[in-house]
Amino acid sequence: MQKEDKIEALIVKSFSGNISPEENESIKEWVNESTQNIRYYQELKDIWQVIHPAFSPDEIDVDKAERKVMGLIQERKLINSSIFILWQRVAAVLIIPVIMLAAYLSYNQSNRSSSIAYQEITSPFGTSSKVDLSDGSTVWLNSGSKLRYPVVFTSNERNVYLSGEAFFKVHSDKSHPFIVETKGLNVTATGTQFNVEAYASDSITAVTLVEGKVNVKMVGDKNVHLNPNERIVFNSITNNYNLTETDGQHWGLWKDGILAFRDEPLNEVFKRIGRTFNVDIVIKDDNISHQLYRATFQGESFDEILRLLKISAPIKYKILERERKPDNQFNKEKIEVYKVN
Amino acid sequence: MPGIYHNIMKEEHYLLVELKQGNKEAFSLIFQKYYKDLVLFGGSLLRDKFQCEDIVQNVFLKLWRNRETLEIETSLKSFLIRSVQNSCLDELRHKVVIREHESYSQSFYASDNMDTEHYVLYSNLESHLEEALGKLPEVCRIAFEMNRLEGLKYREIAERLNVSERTIEVRIGKALGLLREYLKEFFVFLLLISGNWK
Repeated sequence: MQKEDKIEALIVKSFSGNISPEENESIKEWVNESTQNIRYYQELKDIWQVIHPAFSPDEIDVDKAERKVMGLIQERKLINSSIFILWQRVAAVLIIPVIMLAAYLSYNQSNRSSSIAYQEITSPFGTSSKVDLSDGSTVWLNSGSKLRYPVVFTSNERNVYLSGEAFFKVHSDKSHPFIVETKGLNVTATGTQFNVEAYASDSITAVTLVEGKVNVKMVGDKNVHLNPNERIVFNSITNNYNLTETDGQHWGLWKDGILAFRDEPLNEVFKRIGRTFNVDIVIKDDNISHQLYRATFQGESFDEILRLLKISAPIKYKILERERKPDNQFNKEKIEVYKVN
Repeated sequence: MPGIYHNIMKEEHYLLVELKQGNKEAFSLIFQKYYKDLVLFGGSLLRDKFQCEDIVQNVFLKLWRNRETLEIETSLKSFLIRSVQNSCLDELRHKVVIREHESYSQSFYASDNMDTEHYVLYSNLESHLEEALGKLPEVCRIAFEMNRLEGLKYREIAERLNVSERTIEVRIGKALGLLREYLKEFFVFLLLISGNWK
């Protein structure tokens, strides 16, 4: 039994990706000892994967997907039947080339309708980028974010998928709604400006509207219309949301290289600074996490910002030595923040 | 009891026969039954919801287009899982991510050998999971849920609970082993229904 406990702990460690080559080798050895072991490992892995899905099962819209697939099936049928009518009218001598052409066309058509070319843009930690979409909309991607979008928008809806934070300036087109899909919610807009925060590592997803109108549909089918200068924060653990009034412009300032904080708790302040500069910042004293802070930084270096924070908030910090990982790369810079008494 | 399994087998068999004759309702039933599970399964390989949905939709499109010539040697479930798996692996081969993926899933056996017949899908587990979690010893359950629901790393859980990281690994490992045991009835059940019907 003791042995079992040990191997399970190792296997679980390997699922979290944090395992040394030696430990990995010993799992491998154990697994290959017998077919029972292989089976046991498979079953554990299977349960683990099902319990830890890559994205929330509630986000998957089965009916929408079915409509899409049914639509593609229908489309193909139409093409086939019109070709049928056409070739009935053609003289016998032309039949063979026409069939060949028809086969080619319908093959081509069905291929085209079922595959849309997507483009994916990632803004690495510490940088932000700007993307112009084919419909005239513009997206600013914040540090550590990923946007997936079709090279050309072909369907009735303009769908994009976001992980991370982005500011959207949507080109107005009432008949083709622009939809931002994220892990926790979908935002539908026609022509507006809004900011979306949907980092995979965060349990919250937030949308802030600058101008126009958007509809926010959350996991669990809650629907909210946002007005300008309203901000909605959805928590995917509790499935609750919170709607507040805010200065909409403020939430898009990052795209102009401005870090602005308006009475925000220090833990949020450090989270955003950490993301912008690709540094792990950990607050070691919980009672300063919720202290509110107000400041605007523009163009300051990371060291400069830290220095200013130290002057204006009751904190001190410690920069940890960067550790070398087994693959010879260095860990992210890590900083610990303490309260000053 | 065997009657129930028999009925399920018959039901799937019936759905397949209807599908081959071009019955869209049968297609829709299959779609509704497996779509979500397959997207989630794809997620275990690709981790990108958008791509997974694309792949699964294409698998269903092909299922419909090739319905007349379809030869399924295994169960429908196994066939669909295998199709999604192949597409995902194709996709991975095209990606730079492949190196990252290899270290992630450290295959101890060739993925071709994966036992798709006995793979437990999300909808199979979903209804029994809460009950099984409730049966776990308190300390194991707490550590397991902190990781599952809050996405905390073992190190972070260890810090919060004030125990060593190693203790957390043991607790979560034990939790997973026990869950497997509680859900074992399931595996038996799946084993029976996925017998060798053609």
